[in-house]
Amino acid sequence: MHGWTGKILEINLTTGLVQNYPLDEEMARLFIGGRGLGARLLWDLVGPEVDPLSPENVLIFTVGPLTATGYQTSNRFSVSTKSPLTGTILDANSGGFWGMQFKKAGYDGLIVRGKASSPVWIEIKQDQVTIHDGAQIWGKRVGETTSLLGQSNNKRNVLCIGPAGENLSRIAAIMNDGQRSLARGGPGAVMGSKNLKAIVVEGKQRPEILDEERFKFLLYETRKMLKASPLTSQALPEFGTAVMMNIVNNVGALPTRNYQQSQFEDAEAISGEALTENFLVKNASCWACPIGCTRISKTDKVEGEGPEFETTWAFGASCGVNDLAAIIEANAICNDLGMDTISAGSTIACAMEMSEKGYLDSDLRFGRADLLAPTLEDMGYRRGLGAELTDGSLRLGTKYGHPELSMSVKGLEMPAYDPRGMQGQGLLYATSNRGACHMRGNMLGLEVLGLPKLIDRFQVQGKSTYVILHQNASAAIDSLVVCKFTNLGVGDEYFARVLATVTGLKFSTGDLIRAGERVYTLERMYNVREGFTRSHDSLPPRMLEDAVQEGPSKGWVNKLEPMLKEYYRARNWDENGVPRTAKLESLGLGFLERSLQ
Amino acid sequence: MMDERIYEQFREVGQDIYDAGMTSSHGGNLSIRIGDRLIIKRRGAQLRRLKMHDLIETGLDKNDSGVALASSELIVHRQIYKQTPALAVCHCHPRAAIALSLSREDIVPVDNEGSYLLKKVPVIWEEFASGSPELARNVATTLESYKIIMLRGHGCFATGQTLDEAFFWASALEEVAQIILYTKIINEPFLEYRKMADSYNKW
Repeated sequence: MHGWTGKILEINLTTGLVQNYPLDEEMARLFIGGRGLGARLLWDLVGPEVDPLSPENVLIFTVGPLTATGYQTSNRFSVSTKSPLTGTILDANSGGFWGMQFKKAGYDGLIVRGKASSPVWIEIKQDQVTIHDGAQIWGKRVGETTSLLGQSNNKRNVLCIGPAGENLSRIAAIMNDGQRSLARGGPGAVMGSKNLKAIVVEGKQRPEILDEERFKFLLYETRKMLKASPLTSQALPEFGTAVMMNIVNNVGALPTRNYQQSQFEDAEAISGEALTENFLVKNASCWACPIGCTRISKTDKVEGEGPEFETTWAFGASCGVNDLAAIIEANAICNDLGMDTISAGSTIACAMEMSEKGYLDSDLRFGRADLLAPTLEDMGYRRGLGAELTDGSLRLGTKYGHPELSMSVKGLEMPAYDPRGMQGQGLLYATSNRGACHMRGNMLGLEVLGLPKLIDRFQVQGKSTYVILHQNASAAIDSLVVCKFTNLGVGDEYFARVLATVTGLKFSTGDLIRAGERVYTLERMYNVREGFTRSHDSLPPRMLEDAVQEGPSKGWVNKLEPMLKEYYRARNWDENGVPRTAKLESLGLGFLERSLQ
Repeated sequence: MMDERIYEQFREVGQDIYDAGMTSSHGGNLSIRIGDRLIIKRRGAQLRRLKMHDLIETGLDKNDSGVALASSELIVHRQIYKQTPALAVCHCHPRAAIALSLSREDIVPVDNEGSYLLKKVPVIWEEFASGSPELARNVATTLESYKIIMLRGHGCFATGQTLDEAFFWASALEEVAQIILYTKIINEPFLEYRKMADSYNKW
């Protein structure tokens, strides 16, 4: 095979058995790799009877046919599992170096099953796989663990969990290369439940590319387009992802104080511009990335990667905090504990509102920057109030009788775009397979940035069609796997051509987007099998009933119901949100329905 | 009831196409997809004077009374939506591009902007230049890999997520074609300035 290595590695931690088997070529053609391949494997391996934190759940790490080829941003990889936070299918992906290195070790995927009897870590060096005793590193934070295991960016890469994962926090991330994260939905807790502290990889094999000459041309054209786009050549390198702060705030779509407002009066103080001016040490980038959006920031207390826009929002506007240094420190703590910053910040914001309204006995109040760090430490180690917060806002709100104050969908906290000011984004959150997420398609391009062209963000009729296209395209990109920021400079047709050039298989743009639809539909069927229904495709009541009081989105709620109805019809799903037989058959997924009968 | 915002998109882009000289008074057509439905210009309506009642809604697969009123190119628009990720289609008659299509298999830009945006625009043809299933399939299959294609001696079909985007590709093509025509008039040897320019033929 070209592009793919053709090999899957499986490690059973209960028995210690390590084995390889060939990648099914038809499966690769249909689901490509990354998120798609992970979802397909998970369908067979983890059914509805499996508790996400039991040994029967699996962790599936996957790369794609473009990974490690040298194509722009071909560094990413994915983890798939059943989420301990949402109970849905989960995949999370991350950049850096680990994914590239894993592919160079000769694998398209790694399936981790079972549970070790005591803490272990895994070392993969080409064909040599070793399970090491992990007693010496269990309990250590991410930075120290990564360093102890010999992280060296182009040679040896470390993926691990921190205390949050060990303590089974349902918002725990898996961290790679020190400060990059597979964050959302709690994959770190699944890794912790297996007594697996880390996976270290070393590889040497560059994947085979069928047509090297044409590949060079596509590399050249992509580089030209990324340079030509002001987003990828200026805005992201100069200000990082936090460049979005002022843009989103200006249109009245920046959720503030647990979504009570949609504009933050101090957005400027926590913007990408402020970050660059006051705290930036230098830029950094993932492997084979010409964009370089990574920030290395420094305060009196910490120095490290980040924070990203979503993180800055979660600990900033969402918590009513305008102290950027405190936000940078909160980000660094989350990275070191191995915890999802969006869910952590949003859960603290939820607790702040509950405390202000007298539903929770705590000192947390909007604007209390000084309480971010100690609260996060308590969450990571499951101590005191932190033990209440570390399983996410929905469990917190439900425990105290106020689930409506959790700004989440299917239990996953919503990110930094208010669905009342971006109607399509609301539909996207409501129907996202892993819960509310801005990386499962994002309407920011169409509704705010004008990519490829601006549409009216308050338009309702016809919005479903845009959402569906972006969800499908996003699933395809996550299966290649490349960074979605590349898509800010080049269209999907570039990815299709690169995929065909690398693998030798026929992939038109239409084929690629159809593959994305196949992945999205498979994920949906997984959730249907888990018992998710139309009632779960919703938004917090605040988004549907409480109109925005001030700013450019004043007077708006999210008009979800007509969009959802149009969405189901457009996807050829029934009125309960279940894909119809004809749709499944047309995507080559008829076997899913038959296996349920 | 159709959203006013959708009508506005048709009205503005329709007027722009006419103003750019890319269609005759009653030629060209526009459509958008909404799930298993599409909205398309009424047959015989003037692109630069579209009224709300000039927008016809009908099924992507299923016929209904809307087909009696829809543009004669409905069959092509439907096939494009079935085969490609397009959410909007713009069909118009850019004159310079039509002239070039009469003698070329592809239109390959020689200007820098056109090379960035289009790389190459395939020219396809069928015996019946309008309304046949064979033509519809041929157009749609080519658009699976390209944003815009030329029908020899007829016009272009451009796709996008929005009407504005589809029109953008059509407009970019016409600019590319006009520049090629100017270079023919000047008729001087080319000083190639683009690295790997030969590869555009294979895009």
